[in-house]
Amino acid sequence: MSVFESPKARINSSMLSQYISRPVCFVGRVEKVHPTGKLFTLSDGEGKFASVELNEPLDEELSGVLEVVGTVSNKGTIMASAYNILREDKGIPFDLELYNEALKVVHDFPQHYPFEIATSG
Amino acid sequence: APYCVCMLKKSFTNTLKDGRYKRGGVGLGRNSDHCLQLTVLWIFRCGLHLPAGSSSTRGPAGKKAPKAVPTTPGGSKANVVPIASLNPYNTKWTVRVRVTNKSSIRTWSNSRGEGKLFSFETVDESGEIKVTAFNKEVDKFFPLLETGKVYYITRGKLKVANKQYSTLKNDYEMTLHSETSILPCTDDQGLPMVQCDFVPISQLEHRDKDAIIDVIGVCRSVEDVSRLTTKTSREVSKRDIHLMDSSAKMVTVTLWGEEAERFDGSCQPVVAVKGARVSDFRGRSLSALFSSTVMVNPDIPEAYRLRGWFDKEGYALAGQSLTEMRSRGGGANTCWKTLSDVTTEQLGQGDKADYYTCVATVLFCRKESCVYQACPMAHCQKKVVDQHNGLYRCEKCDKEFPNYKHRLILSANIADFGDNQWVTCFQETAEIILCHDAESLGRLKDTNEDAFDEVFHKANFTTHIFRNRVKLETYNEETRVKTTVMDVKPVNHREYSRRLISSIRKMAI
Repeated sequence: MSVFESPKARINSSMLSQYISRPVCFVGRVEKVHPTGKLFTLSDGEGKFASVELNEPLDEELSGVLEVVGTVSNKGTIMASAYNILREDKGIPFDLELYNEALKVVHDFPQHYPFEIATSG
Repeated sequence: APYCVCMLKKSFTNTLKDGRYKRGGVGLGRNSDHCLQLTVLWIFRCGLHLPAGSSSTRGPAGKKAPKAVPTTPGGSKANVVPIASLNPYNTKWTVRVRVTNKSSIRTWSNSRGEGKLFSFETVDESGEIKVTAFNKEVDKFFPLLETGKVYYITRGKLKVANKQYSTLKNDYEMTLHSETSILPCTDDQGLPMVQCDFVPISQLEHRDKDAIIDVIGVCRSVEDVSRLTTKTSREVSKRDIHLMDSSAKMVTVTLWGEEAERFDGSCQPVVAVKGARVSDFRGRSLSALFSSTVMVNPDIPEAYRLRGWFDKEGYALAGQSLTEMRSRGGGANTCWKTLSDVTTEQLGQGDKADYYTCVATVLFCRKESCVYQACPMAHCQKKVVDQHNGLYRCEKCDKEFPNYKHRLILSANIADFGDNQWVTCFQETAEIILCHDAESLGRLKDTNEDAFDEVFHKANFTTHIFRNRVKLETYNEETRVKTTVMDVKPVNHREYSRRLISSIRKMAI
């Protein structure tokens, strides 16, 4: 099933191991980009890291906060299908720590945030 | 050290009945006409009684010479009585007290003469009493006394308290005189730091204006210091601080002068104010007086209790303030409500207006009769009557003008997830919601109707923080709850998110 057609759980690094082979949405700050441009590291709102792998090398400079959509590999890395740069020069700066707090609320109260049920044909 | 020895040398001169005076010689006893030089030993905390020295007589200058020796040293425990037992009819007593509030030296000069005084408040386990010293006693005792320290006081004069100058709970007050002795006491066991009778903030509504009360609370936030010029052209500093106690209510306390300037509200300290005055300014508020004592993180049980409560649960509460706030939009002293809360809590249905803050979205704005022609005079907002001769009449100013200014009264419907509410926005708040100033909007209405309509469409579905005033109003025999928007601010998403997350976590407990 295409990553774009299914609901994607928003997760942080601590949850990667629970979402192996599942589509996820990961928001984090760019830490390091591998010279090949096909691999980079993000840090989440708790300061923990996650590795992101791309099919094609990057064609632009990456910095700031990114939203990555993809599937978690069995190595615990995110195989990215798409990414989105949350621009810092526009609007209110993104508060990654606050986002992490909200993310925890969503996971702590799944009965109030039934995202999985949302898909329809 | 508990025992220390102090040597004091005193000398005095006796006068003979015929006015001559003699010096020298030795001898003790009353009515001696010899001059003496005595060495006095005062031993602290020891029940020694030294023999009575000569009574003082008038020296050549006509002034009273000091007594040679105190009849009872202040350290005598045998005579220590509670403050509550002091009265004008009993002169032989010693009290062991803590000084809680020491004033500065004040001088006066009037037709009857001049002088100086200072006063201090004292406390022991039984109660409190105010003590005043005049002139010579000021020189003697002002340097000795320190706030917070404990002393033995013997032989002060008791009289009925002048309630105009003191709000302490005691029918009497004390005046020091030449025979008073005050000695430091290093043992402060059992003595309270201060005597306070704290009124819960929620009870302040029931206290009369101008009542003097004690209050304690956690200082959640402070305003900046501002400077005012008083009626007597004196400049004074002022600062508002916001206190919250375990009744979950808040009140604003105004501090003045140096206290206002020095106050440090960082770390949200516990603040106790003894002798604050209740005011009905902005609903209910408190003001520190010259005679008030403001204590930051006092070492009293109530302070520890409050700290514990606040750190555990109080910090997360929104708290409702008894004092109407002018600046809002965020911070711990805002009264956040949802529109459904307004109905369930029946806000505005009491005899006073209620104020609340909410996040809501504009659903609809009435464009008919939103703009009106108002009197061009600076502070007049009255609608003018078109005389149809090029002139417009203002009934309030009783004048006719060739022009008018456009002003706004906007009727809008705002909503959140739970409920909707019709509100009235006057000039300033209307201009913010419509993103247009009254004058240009008025002109647009006459010149470009489409553009005018567009302004109202654009305002729909915009979300703001509303500070609303809700009150029962009677109009044409019909009584209804009317809501007026006092202030409109953009939503601060970070603060809003934090507040929501905090509420969710609290609800989950």
